[in-house]
Amino acid sequence: MTISRFVLFGCVALVALVAFQPADDPVPTGPYELRYPASFGGRFNIPVDNPMTQEGVYLGRLLFYEPRLSATGTVSCASCHQQSRAFTDGLVHSVGVSGKLTRRNSMSLVNLLWVRQLFWDGRSNSLEEQTLVPLQHADEMGLKPGEAAQWLQKTAAYPALFRRVFGTDTITDARIAKAIAQFERTLISADSPYDRFLAGKYVLTAAEERGLRLFSAAPNSGRGIRGGNCAHCHGGPKLMQELFHNNGLDLKAIDPGRQEVTGLDLDHGRFRVPTLRNIALTAPYMHDGRFATLAAVLDHYSDHVQASPTLSRELVPAQAGGLGLTPTEKTDLLAFLHLLTDTVFVNNPQFSNPHIRH
Amino acid sequence: MTRFNFLFRPAHWASFVLIGAFCLAAGTGFGQITISGEVTKPLTLQAADLKALPHTEVTGKDRDGKEHKYVGVPLADLLKLAGATMGGELRGENLMKYVVVKAIDGYETLYALPELDTDFATRTIILADSVDGSPLPSGVGPYRIVVPGEKKPARWVREVKSIEVRFAK
Ligand code: HEC
Ligand code: HEC
Repeated sequence: MTISRFVLFGCVALVALVAFQPADDPVPTGPYELRYPASFGGRFNIPVDNPMTQEGVYLGRLLFYEPRLSATGTVSCASCHQQSRAFTDGLVHSVGVSGKLTRRNSMSLVNLLWVRQLFWDGRSNSLEEQTLVPLQHADEMGLKPGEAAQWLQKTAAYPALFRRVFGTDTITDARIAKAIAQFERTLISADSPYDRFLAGKYVLTAAEERGLRLFSAAPNSGRGIRGGNCAHCHGGPKLMQELFHNNGLDLKAIDPGRQEVTGLDLDHGRFRVPTLRNIALTAPYMHDGRFATLAAVLDHYSDHVQASPTLSRELVPAQAGGLGLTPTEKTDLLAFLHLLTDTVFVNNPQFSNPHIRH
Repeated sequence: MTRFNFLFRPAHWASFVLIGAFCLAAGTGFGQITISGEVTKPLTLQAADLKALPHTEVTGKDRDGKEHKYVGVPLADLLKLAGATMGGELRGENLMKYVVVKAIDGYETLYALPELDTDFATRTIILADSVDGSPLPSGVGPYRIVVPGEKKPARWVREVKSIEVRFAK
């Protein structure tokens, strides 16, 4: 290699390095194209005043991972919603700025584009409205109304980013919520082995196939059909039905759940049916995180279903306690539940912390 | 910011008041049906209102595969009461209307308006409040839609909470 060639090579390398400085990262712009399997359907929950744009999603992702959106400067949405755990936190109850525990178990943030009634009790109808709850909750991020906007307004980078998205660099809580909501709507999980099986690209093992059958079938002792009837509530390509049920955790619920929202006795101890997508990654389980493992969940449905007055009809057991699953049936159901883990989703670089450069 | 700050936040007190109100409201609202949407007189009917309306008997096959006698108020009557475009008014663009019935557990299904109208349909879809002479059991009642003749009872919504008329876009 001659000297001049070496210098040239050095210059090219230098230019390349400079070009990869974060400050020069171009912000993508234009409408955001949602990609999802046709079987998920087009019944989105997107308000007309917050259309999805690439710049909006870009800003929302920065804000989702922004610890300055908390009273202590240490808690972001991602503290309780971690990508590696399908956007949960592995805790029974979460901890925010005050050190006190949240009332309920953190929820997985996945396929929210299709959810109309958010939270365990369905009390919020839009991601825009929902976002302000943790932001201003004393035990989560602990900010007063307007405080987050004031802090971001003083930063060097954010006002310009808000201008790109909203046409003005005045930051408001409502605009913060809109941007975060846009990012959350991109959190689509559709690439688990189960999805590939549905698309004809994955062949089930014998245990997985038996597990799927148990998951889908309603038990019928008369006709000798064994089943868990799980799909009645957790079925469909998105692995959720937007329903509220009491799945028999307690004879008298400690947390009234849906009843607190509707005031109806019939809603006592009902909670939203959570998706089973990535369920192997989101322990502990239930609204109060009472079960540490999926095996404990199956023991519940098998032997410990509490026959309270509002227990879902689908779960009223033919025999005391529940389905009475055999050890093999439990192993088969577990094999099926592990099929629902979408490793592409939890490793997708578009969903990771943008403040950390690799 | 101290962790005691939250005690003084109005929002916090507001939530106490709200939860208090919910507790008071609990127990009421049971057996109440709302009819809303593209109607001239949105209605909230209490159990006594529904009981007072003329009832019709139909038979239908439930999930158990057996025929049962259901008694209830025809949906067409309820929609007329709320001022939906039924009968002579069910023409032109009104044929693009549909009815969404929602259950307490969040389950929902739809029926095209002509499916419910007596000038169009040969069967009477009812909001049933009794089966074989007894009130509907818990988890099914107090009200359930019954669609006689439908081979699969998936639209027989249990625990009906609301009826809404909408326009297809
Ligand atoms: C201190 C922990 C904590 C923080 C911080 C937090 N969350 Fe949550 N999140 C929770 C808990 C706990 C729930 C369930 C609460 C309930 O149902 O009452 C939840 C529920 C949700 C849900 C409902 C999901 C569903 O399927 O209904 C969304 C969406 C959400 N959080 C988004 C966010 C966003 C956006 C932020 C940041 C602005 C955030 N969270 C910050 C703990 C937290
Ligand atoms: C009648 C509806 C219904 C049926 C049937 C049902 N579930 Fe559930 N499931 C629920 C509800 C509601 C919850 C949330 C309950 C709560 O937290 O209070 C839940 C929670 C779960 C959870 C915990 C999810 C989480 O994120 O914490 C798992 C796992 C689960 N169910 C698996 C199953 C399996 C396996 C079956 C079949 C054996 C089944 N379910 C049958 C309604 C149902």
